[in-house]
Amino acid sequence: MQVTATGFGRYWQYRDLVRNLVAKDLKVRYQGAALGFLWSLGNPLALILIYDFVFTHVFRSDLPNYILYLVIGVLHYNLFSQSLMQSCESLTGASGLLQKIYFPRILVPTASMLFTLVLWFVAILILVLLYPFLGGVYHWGLLLYPLALGLYIAFIWGLVLTFSVLNVEFRDLKHLVEIALMGLFWFTPVGYQISTLGANARSVVEWNPLTQFMDIFHSLLYQGALPHWSSVLIAMAWTAASLALGTVLFHRKARMLVEDL
Amino acid sequence: MVTPAVVVEHLRKEFILRHNRAMGIKTRFLALFHASKRERREHFLALDDVSFTVERGEALGLLGHNGSGKSTLLQIIAGILIPTKGQVITHGRVAPLIQLGVGFNPELTGFENIFLNASLYGFRNRDVKKRVKDIIEFSELEHFIDTPLKNYSSGMQMRLGFSVAVHLEPDILLADEILAVGDQPFQDKCLAKIAALRKEGMTLILVSHNPEQVNKFCDQFVRLEHGRVLEQGGITKVQEEDTPHGLSDPVRRAYY
Repeated sequence: MQVTATGFGRYWQYRDLVRNLVAKDLKVRYQGAALGFLWSLGNPLALILIYDFVFTHVFRSDLPNYILYLVIGVLHYNLFSQSLMQSCESLTGASGLLQKIYFPRILVPTASMLFTLVLWFVAILILVLLYPFLGGVYHWGLLLYPLALGLYIAFIWGLVLTFSVLNVEFRDLKHLVEIALMGLFWFTPVGYQISTLGANARSVVEWNPLTQFMDIFHSLLYQGALPHWSSVLIAMAWTAASLALGTVLFHRKARMLVEDL
Repeated sequence: MVTPAVVVEHLRKEFILRHNRAMGIKTRFLALFHASKRERREHFLALDDVSFTVERGEALGLLGHNGSGKSTLLQIIAGILIPTKGQVITHGRVAPLIQLGVGFNPELTGFENIFLNASLYGFRNRDVKKRVKDIIEFSELEHFIDTPLKNYSSGMQMRLGFSVAVHLEPDILLADEILAVGDQPFQDKCLAKIAALRKEGMTLILVSHNPEQVNKFCDQFVRLEHGRVLEQGGITKVQEEDTPHGLSDPVRRAYY
């Protein structure tokens, strides 16, 4: 075994631990289910079908291809909310590991987020398949989508680190986050366009970091256009802030973490 | 110059004991009116000015009663806890055996758990693949290796955990009373394995209640009481010539 590396190499050495932890969670999740992994396709598929029924027969929207608009919003919002909810319990749930052996602690919330991400990629696969039928347009700008998604994931990761480490000290956080995520859904332009809002509501919603990301995803995937540069810049600023907060806080708290578990 | 494997210098560890720790709002509210429900903080000195050096290939026995600080010391050497004062320097890969089979998941098979457990020690899957045959063979669980761990007896789980840990070829093994794995024949096998590893230069720190075990295994010992070193010193070994020729005890034979 090589001598403990420094800096990034210290984490890289443990890459198979992250892989095994994610694989374990996936195996345990679909243990004994006859359809196994296929179940993660069921959720997004049902989502699209139900929305299709509700918004063509029950409510009607003026937006063309409204289902596409909504599904893009909901799927990306789900990535955010599921990652955060999982992260709150990632460290407290792994107390047995953390007290018995040393490994870089940051890998625990990171593995928990990767687990959510793997399931989410399966969900997005459904969207990729149904994209042309829902009215999506193919254009060169789609090639930028992975970059936008990467930015979004980095933004979420910063918050995942923050919440995972704070939940060790304040166990109430988990419940608070759950409620906050429910409310935040409506303060994010998931299923509506920000331009339809009144001035007051608009100024509130504009301060929501997710608004910028939704704008980017809707531009690329729904409108078939490049996002406005101001959205991209603000999203980058939020990501930098979230990463700085998450990594600094985690670094400071991780040393004494075990004693609070 | 050969650097020592483990150097412990003036180690001090304080815990803050929180009696009646207020975790919820209700308790916090009640604490306003009832002094008895208030959180009391007490500084608890788990380790105070502990120093020793273990050379490469040496074995050190940690003796002491329950709560004397042995396990805390082990956790600090393993890097799990951060000392309040003083420092620990280790050279080489440390494998803490504070609990056998850390991270074992009852839903996964024994085979899958080997990889999960080994990766916690920083091992790559491809390196584990090379050893997995030896690990299974040593644990004598060939027949059960593809069944979920929840169907294992506790002795079987410990056998698997021990087998993984010793096959990762650690430079420094921190053992917290783990030498009671399974039945007598398997215990002997474990002790022989540790002895063989030590011959190859592995350093051992052994926590034990049992002075006899420490006598048999270690070159030096540290006795802790209430976090302080009560006594420490070397253990004079019986010379090889002196051992009786009836080498019926497999442990001794492997050891000396």
